[in-house]
Amino acid sequence: MISALESQLAIGAILFTLGAIGFLTRRNLILMMLSGEMMLHGVSINLTAFGRYHNNAAGQSFTVFVLTVAACEAGLALAVILTLYQRRKSLDVELWSNLGEADLTREVEPAFPAAPPPHEYPRLTPAGAMPKPQAPTVTAKTTT
Amino acid sequence: MNPLPEQWRMIVPAALGALAVWMLLPRDGKRRWVLGSLCGLVALVGVLSTVRPVIDDWAMDGLFYLFGGGAVLSGVMMITDRNPIYAALWFALVTLSTCGLFLLNAAPFLSAATIVVYAGAIVVTFVFVIMLAQQAGAATYDRRAFQPMLATCAGFLLLGAILYTIDASGRGGEDARPQFLPRVQIAEVTPNPLSQPRILNEETGETDLGSLSSIGRSLFGDYLFAVELAGTVLLIATIGAIALAPRRAQGHL
Repeated sequence: MISALESQLAIGAILFTLGAIGFLTRRNLILMMLSGEMMLHGVSINLTAFGRYHNNAAGQSFTVFVLTVAACEAGLALAVILTLYQRRKSLDVELWSNLGEADLTREVEPAFPAAPPPHEYPRLTPAGAMPKPQAPTVTAKTTT
Repeated sequence: MNPLPEQWRMIVPAALGALAVWMLLPRDGKRRWVLGSLCGLVALVGVLSTVRPVIDDWAMDGLFYLFGGGAVLSGVMMITDRNPIYAALWFALVTLSTCGLFLLNAAPFLSAATIVVYAGAIVVTFVFVIMLAQQAGAATYDRRAFQPMLATCAGFLLLGAILYTIDASGRGGEDARPQFLPRVQIAEVTPNPLSQPRILNEETGETDLGSLSSIGRSLFGDYLFAVELAGTVLLIATIGAIALAPRRAQGHL
């Protein structure tokens, strides 16, 4: 018979797996970071469920440490993400896939074709309505 | 031993969930979100009906279904949403559901602390960073997932293995546990009586597990050295974040 412990463990395992999938598939740096936090949530559920099962406060103490590490990780990841964004003006993690020398050949080719360059509108004095962009193109970044 | 086809109660929901997540991940063109949502809901109901809690208390069971199902649904929505702001808000919902599960696990202090740290600090900060760094319109890197098929297969193979182990160890009782390795005799350790939860009510067996004094006795009794280490880690992380953060003089964000 499956008791209350196993149901909590199953929820924790599902959250951990979803976080792992999100970390592997999302290309936004911030969402990768949040997916990692979701994996930590799954682990925390496991820890408190075991603590309840054994009637012991050790599981909750471990969860406090998990919270501490998550807070440190969030602060450091924020600083790193801001620095990376300042370099390339984008949150795309694919831009950072080649950290080696520039003249080295990459062993793994990107699986999808490169994104089309953003459509640049000529800088004119704004008059009338803003033209509608075509569907696949990205509108230019609006400054000020 | 359990042959693989007898484990269909775990394998079928895992496969359906994998199909749902694969269909819902962002990609070019239209997503089959109706079919994906149906597959995901069937998978969730299947898993929750297999590992249903047996507490014999309809209020606790209902709260478990609410928080557990809410956590899983919000997690799926978070990793499949194209808009990063919405994904961060779905992550806040995941955090709230997790805090509900903490409450069910007799951890009210942890529940409050998690809400303060995650929803109050992390999610708000990251929403601000997304709003600072977001380009106008949906960026291409949010509209295309990276290798959705491989990642989904790997993740749900892991999930299937974990669910199989949970199911196998939970069903057979004491006989089914040493399936893979013989049980190792662990040396008996007498726990520290100061850090154990105190019994409040002898008849019902109610203890003060999860209260502030119980966690405090455990933290500052058994894990005092680890608490000091955690404080040091926080300090070093603060210094590192300040050292790494971009300066305004070199160009504002």
